[in-house]
Amino acid sequence: MNNLPGILILAIYFLILVAIGVFGARATKKTREEYFMAGRGLGSLAIFMTLFASNITAFTIIGYAGFAYHVGFGAYGYVIGWSIFITPFTYYLVGYRSWLLGKRYGYATQPQVFGGILKSPLVAMLFLMLLLYYTLPYLVVSIIGGSLAFSTISNGVVPYWLAALALICVSLFYTLPAGMRGTVWTDIFQGTVFMTVAVLLLFAVAQSLGGFSALTNRIILENPALLQRSLSPAIVPINWFSFAFTNSIAVIVFPHMFTRILAARSTTSLKKTSLYYPLAMAGIFAISTLLGVWGAVSIPGLIGKESDNIVPLLIQQYLSPTWMILGLVVILAIVKSSIDSQLLSVAHLVTDDLLPRFRKVSNQQAVFWGRIFLLVFAAAAFYISLIRPAAILSIAAFAFSGFSVMLPVMIAALYWPRTNKYGAAAALIIPAIMLHLWYLNVLPGWTSFGFMPVFPAFVLAIVILVVVSYLTPAPSMEQRTETFGVFDEVFR
Amino acid sequence: MKFKHRLALVFLMVLIMFLLHNSFWLWDLDARMPLLFGFMPFAFSYYIFYAILSVLALKLIVKLAWPDPPAEFAAQVGESEQAQ
Repeated sequence: MNNLPGILILAIYFLILVAIGVFGARATKKTREEYFMAGRGLGSLAIFMTLFASNITAFTIIGYAGFAYHVGFGAYGYVIGWSIFITPFTYYLVGYRSWLLGKRYGYATQPQVFGGILKSPLVAMLFLMLLLYYTLPYLVVSIIGGSLAFSTISNGVVPYWLAALALICVSLFYTLPAGMRGTVWTDIFQGTVFMTVAVLLLFAVAQSLGGFSALTNRIILENPALLQRSLSPAIVPINWFSFAFTNSIAVIVFPHMFTRILAARSTTSLKKTSLYYPLAMAGIFAISTLLGVWGAVSIPGLIGKESDNIVPLLIQQYLSPTWMILGLVVILAIVKSSIDSQLLSVAHLVTDDLLPRFRKVSNQQAVFWGRIFLLVFAAAAFYISLIRPAAILSIAAFAFSGFSVMLPVMIAALYWPRTNKYGAAAALIIPAIMLHLWYLNVLPGWTSFGFMPVFPAFVLAIVILVVVSYLTPAPSMEQRTETFGVFDEVFR
Repeated sequence: MKFKHRLALVFLMVLIMFLLHNSFWLWDLDARMPLLFGFMPFAFSYYIFYAILSVLALKLIVKLAWPDPPAEFAAQVGESEQAQ
C-alpha cells in the first residue's frame, strides 16, 4: 500500500465525495420533499445514473464473478439475461403509473402509493413491514460483501471491521446532510468512476494475460465446459426459468429504486433511462463475467466461496499496486452507491410511513427524524455486519424472492380496478409465509414442483389476489376513479 | 388503435423476449457456433445481441404505449405542488 499515485487517487476520490456532500447540503432545503425526493427534480442523467449505480451492488464484482468462475459464460444469461430487458420494462410497467400518481397525489413510497390506491392502512403497513424486513438484511449483506472485498484488496492492511466502518461513515457523510440529492450526485460520480475503471481494468487484465482471443483459446483447451451451458449442473433449465422470477423483477420493488423513479422530473427522464439501461447492465456484467471466467483458467483450483475474491486476486497477481487502489475505488464506488440509497430509503420509510402513526410530523421535523433514523439504521447495520447472525444472512438469501412476490400486488393495483384491499393483503401475507416455509426447509422440496420457491410463490400470489378480490366486496366507484381516472387522462 | 390493443402488443413483446431468454433449444449451439470477434462464445454473445434487441423492443414499447401526460395533467400537477 506504499504507493503514492494510488494513495493520491484514493484521496482525490474521497475529497470529491466530501465536496459533493458539502454542495449537496447547500442545495437541499430542509423540507421532506427536498430531503427524501430531491424535490422530484431528477433529470435524465441523474435518474439513469442513480438507478443504475444503486442497482449494482458488491454482488456484481464479488459474488457474481465468483459464480462465473465456476459456471462459465452461461452465468451471464442465467443471472442477468432476463434483467437486461425486464428490469427497465418494469420502470414502464409499474414505474410510470406510480410516478403519475405520485405527481398527482404527492405519494413518495410504496406504502403511500398502494395503501392510497386501495384505501387501506393495513396494505400500507404490510408494504412497510415487508420492505423493511427484506431491505435491512440485504443492506447488511451489501456491507459485509463490500467490507470483505475492501479488506482483501488492501491485503489485510484495512481490517474487516474498519472497512465496514469506513464504508458506512463515508456514505453517511454526504447522505446525512444532503439526503437524496447527496446520494444521487455521488451516484453520478461513482457510477461514472466504476464503469470507467471497470472497462480499463478489463483491458489491463486481458493484456497481462495474453489478450482476449488467447484467453478464450486457453479456456477451450483447459476447461471447455465453461463455454457450454448444458455442461453446468448449476444452470439446468428449470433453475434458469425460475431464476427469471428472482433478481430481475425484484428491482422495481426495492424501496430505494421505487422512490427514485417517483423523484424523476419528467417522463422523458424515465423513457431515456429505460432505453439506456439494457446496455449499461449488459456492459457491467459482461466485464464481471469475463474476469470471473478468465480467473478460472488463470488462478484455477478455488473451491466454493473462495472464488468470490477472484477479481481482487486477479488484480493482486497480474497488475501493478496502483491497480489495487483503482480496484479498491471500484469496489468502494459500487458498494457505497447502493448502501447509501438503501440506508436513506429505510430511514424515509420509517419517517414517512411509521412515525406519523404515533405523532404529528411537520415538514422540517421529518428531515430531523430522517437524519436520526439514518444514524440508527447505520449503527444497527454496522453492528449486525460485525456479528453476522445466521438468521439475518438466511433472510438475505431469499430477500430478492421476497421482493419479487410483492410485485403481483403492485401490478394489479395499477392495472386491474377490481383489486381490493383484502385480495392485496392476502397476496402479500400468504406468499411471504410460504417462501419462509420453503427456504427454511419446513416444507419438503417436492411441494415446489422442482422450481425454485420464488416461482410457485409468485403464482400463488396471483391466484390469491384474484380469488380473494372476487370473493370480497369490490372497491367503490369513487375509489377506482381516483386512480384509474388519472390513467384515463394519460393512456388514451 | 385503442390503448388496450397497444398494451396487448406490448405484453406479446414481453412474452417473445421471455421465450428468447428461455431458449434452451439453442444451448446446443454453444459448442458449435464460431467465436464472435475471436473471443466471445455463443453463450456470451447471445446476450450481447439480446441487449441490443431489448433496446429496440423498449423503443417500440415507448412509441406504442408510453404517452406523455397531457398538458392539462401537467397544469394540475403544478397546482397540487403549489398547494403542498
